[in-house]
Amino acid sequence: MDHIFIEMAEDIISLKNINYSYYGKIPALKNINLSVKKGEMVAIIGLNGCGKSTLLHIINALIFPDSGELFFKGNQVTENSLSNKSFGKELRQSMGYIFQNPEIQLFCPTVFDELLFAPMQLNLPINAAEERADETLSFLGIEYLKDRPVFMLSGGEKKKVAIASVLTMNPDILLIDEPLSSLDPKTQTFFIDLLLELNRAGKTIVFTTHHLDLIDHLQPRVAVLTEEHTIQKTGTASEILNDEEFLISVNLIHEHVHKHDNEVHRHFHSHYVFHKH
Amino acid sequence: MENKIPSYLLQPGNDQHELANAKVIRLSFLDKTLMNSATAVKSIYVQAENASKENFIQKISPHIKLISLIYLVLIISFVSHHKAQIIITIFIFALFIMARLNIFKVYKKIFFLAFIFGFIVVLPASLNIITPGKIIFNIITINKPLHFWIYTIPQNIGFTENGLKVVSLIFLRILNSVSLAMLIIFTTSFPSFIKSFKILGVPDTFLMIISLAYKYIFILSRTIEETYFALRSRLSGNIKNSKIRELISGRIFFIFKKSMIIYESTYYAMVSRGYQGKVLLHSQKKLTAMDFVTLIIIVAFGVWIIYL
Repeated sequence: MDHIFIEMAEDIISLKNINYSYYGKIPALKNINLSVKKGEMVAIIGLNGCGKSTLLHIINALIFPDSGELFFKGNQVTENSLSNKSFGKELRQSMGYIFQNPEIQLFCPTVFDELLFAPMQLNLPINAAEERADETLSFLGIEYLKDRPVFMLSGGEKKKVAIASVLTMNPDILLIDEPLSSLDPKTQTFFIDLLLELNRAGKTIVFTTHHLDLIDHLQPRVAVLTEEHTIQKTGTASEILNDEEFLISVNLIHEHVHKHDNEVHRHFHSHYVFHKH
Repeated sequence: MENKIPSYLLQPGNDQHELANAKVIRLSFLDKTLMNSATAVKSIYVQAENASKENFIQKISPHIKLISLIYLVLIISFVSHHKAQIIITIFIFALFIMARLNIFKVYKKIFFLAFIFGFIVVLPASLNIITPGKIIFNIITINKPLHFWIYTIPQNIGFTENGLKVVSLIFLRILNSVSLAMLIIFTTSFPSFIKSFKILGVPDTFLMIISLAYKYIFILSRTIEETYFALRSRLSGNIKNSKIRELISGRIFFIFKKSMIIYESTYYAMVSRGYQGKVLLHSQKKLTAMDFVTLIIIVAFGVWIIYL
């Protein structure tokens, strides 16, 4: 049923011929075309430096492309259209962006303030905002951090607070840059389950990763960004993961050496799917 | 893709004899500067730990603390007799005991600041050149008084009774103000104290900027400390001081550049979560009966001191 719903659903985000470069010199994205349907889960995969985070910045309208067009719910997003307060507010309210580096995402005095920041900017009544924040803290098991200054958290705690601070917005679209970075294995599993559940509840999820095992866990539609900063292929998780030749050509799997007891041997490697001998 | 390891990496490490003969690098100036920054970071931890203690003083609302601080500092400035100032000193000391802070460490800092700004700086005011009066301690005697323009240097130069009274009063005022400020700093978490400025009508955006600046001081200190450790772990042998300075200045440039990138990214994070040029901060908890009782006691104490 979910699949049929996605097939029929409208494009909630659409990128057409997007080009972006840093300082007008270093290319980050070249001729990107991608659309995301309502309720869909999409993964943007690629090696470090291929432009994954830049693409999420553009989708969230934090930076604007040198050329090309971004559409949100069929409306073109530009600096001008965002200056229209109701459109700007709708876009911000609809999209929650979890950055890769939680250090930069946390800017409020305490953890509780961090969770209340977005609901308050979006004019949610204070009681409802506080209730949301308390519920989220307890859901993520971090109530004990409530009054702590954010700079006094460990790496994993910062990541959890960054996730919580976006969840309190209750956005329809979640943009997540490297979802599992800085999380311990137990929290990684928890977060994967959470993403699946949120997607099942109808949230649109767009995330970046270079871990193929995460693609296997979440089974999203996949767009592969190459080192040439273009999207070379899109397809279902199984279509991409089963195309070994393609994954080797874009360096997402590679040959490596490892040991089994005292035996050293070489094989193609990706922690989950291609760990075969 | 095949790893081609450089052949030297497959050889044994540095000759032990060479290492034994290498001169120990001196990084004393570096040690002092950077370790001080690390100490600053640790003191923030200590402050935050103290602030989270469940004692009477720590539990008082930051709003009440801010109002009390302003009120008592005004009282300290208005009251001009020693007896009242000494009573205030004792009162603040009692508050420190109630807060269960490390009295010795805190008062060391307070007396240091009070000594510099309340004694050394104002001590010349007790000389008869500035405050005329009866000399009670003569320092120097010259042949005859000197006159130039509107000034006169008397024959005997020394401390006057009036002068010492003025200096001791200023010293007590500064001691009391500093100790009061320290009491608030050590018993209140910085973020909640900053937010209490809302009651004075300070805009949220301004408070947000102060909070961010505080956060970045912390991050910067930690980055400097980590840079220092990285340098220490990699520097060996005899390196010229000029080379070390070059290294440090390079790292400072790197830190500033990194800070700029962080600021930009933090701005994006704010925009992403609905920031549209005006920040709305969460207000603090409502005042409790204990807060009101504290305020009444402080106000009553201030009135009593004035009429003493």
